[in-house]
Amino acid sequence: MSVTGKSREEILDHLRVVLSDLFELKPEQIVPEARLYDDLDLDSIDAVDLFLTLKEITGRKIQPQAFKDVRTVSDVIDAIQKLTSQTAG
Amino acid sequence: MSGAGRKLNHVWRIFATGFVFVLFGVGALFISLTVFPLLRLSTRDSDTARRRIQHGMHFTFRAFMETLRVLGILTYRVDGAARLREPGRLIVANHPTLLDVVLLVSQMPEVDCIVKRGLWRNPFLRWPVSWAGYLPNIEGEALIEECSATLRRGHSLLVFPEGSRTVPGKAMHMQRGAAHIALAADTEVLPVTIACDPPTLFKGNPWYRVPARRFHLHVVVGAPVAARQFLRDGDGPSLAARRLTQWMLTQFDTARNLTPDAGAVPAALVGVRSPSVDEAELLKCQ
Repeated sequence: MSVTGKSREEILDHLRVVLSDLFELKPEQIVPEARLYDDLDLDSIDAVDLFLTLKEITGRKIQPQAFKDVRTVSDVIDAIQKLTSQTAG
Repeated sequence: MSGAGRKLNHVWRIFATGFVFVLFGVGALFISLTVFPLLRLSTRDSDTARRRIQHGMHFTFRAFMETLRVLGILTYRVDGAARLREPGRLIVANHPTLLDVVLLVSQMPEVDCIVKRGLWRNPFLRWPVSWAGYLPNIEGEALIEECSATLRRGHSLLVFPEGSRTVPGKAMHMQRGAAHIALAADTEVLPVTIACDPPTLFKGNPWYRVPARRFHLHVVVGAPVAARQFLRDGDGPSLAARRLTQWMLTQFDTARNLTPDAGAVPAALVGVRSPSVDEAELLKCQ
């Protein structure tokens, strides 16, 4: 599974699957403006889980710092886009 | 009770409540400077000292609960107390009042607790809490690691999964840390529900606002469940923690929904008791 070069919309679709599988969330809850901790009720352990899963999906070595300031689903998409564009070239 | 008698009783309970708050503070200081250092010095082995100090906490809290009862502030009753003394489990309780820790430790001679990390900066209390092997409430994974380590050593650990006292009238908000601890330690979870009637000493309620009558604390110890039951093939710990947390909430809610606001009480409280509790285990403290 690769998300390299995909649009934001495609990455969001992908995240819907990942987040609903990982945390039993409803796909319709997963919108770009949803806050991970407040709206989606993730905790720090979940964040680690998500981080490891994204590492698998992107197939890249992700540094934890890349996700340090992630607050919303949109931030996650940004971080993935940034990571994949950085290392793809 | 006549109107005047009721009023007198009310004034008495305000006075007595103020007195026991002072007693608790002064007593904690006194014991921390005398009994606990002596217990620590009574052995070279830090693990033996840990157990002796936990026993010391247990007796102190037991005496404190009895003081409250004798002064007419409260009555209390613990169903299934024997189960609290079986070691090596994560004991999870709801948290309606300020007295919950005192009440539960008064029933458990040996139990590890999570306490405010600020106590480690208190010149008097930092030593007793570290000698007792209590855990500071540090953040996130480090705390989960510390807690599961103590459970794997065979200790009991008391946790309030809500993280702080319940705000009456609001939905109970559960943190998932307790579930993560139980899963990481692969241990059994013992659910304990506490009901307080009439509600008092809850979050945001000042001590001097004593309830209309002597309050009753009723503790029901449920049946232990293995945390691994909530793990399913192919699922990560995140999902298992959600299921386990949901299960805890169901246990607490059963008791909470049966907790009456005021008025008709004892019949409803009796209903809280799970039918699995052996009558022989009943410990009546009234």
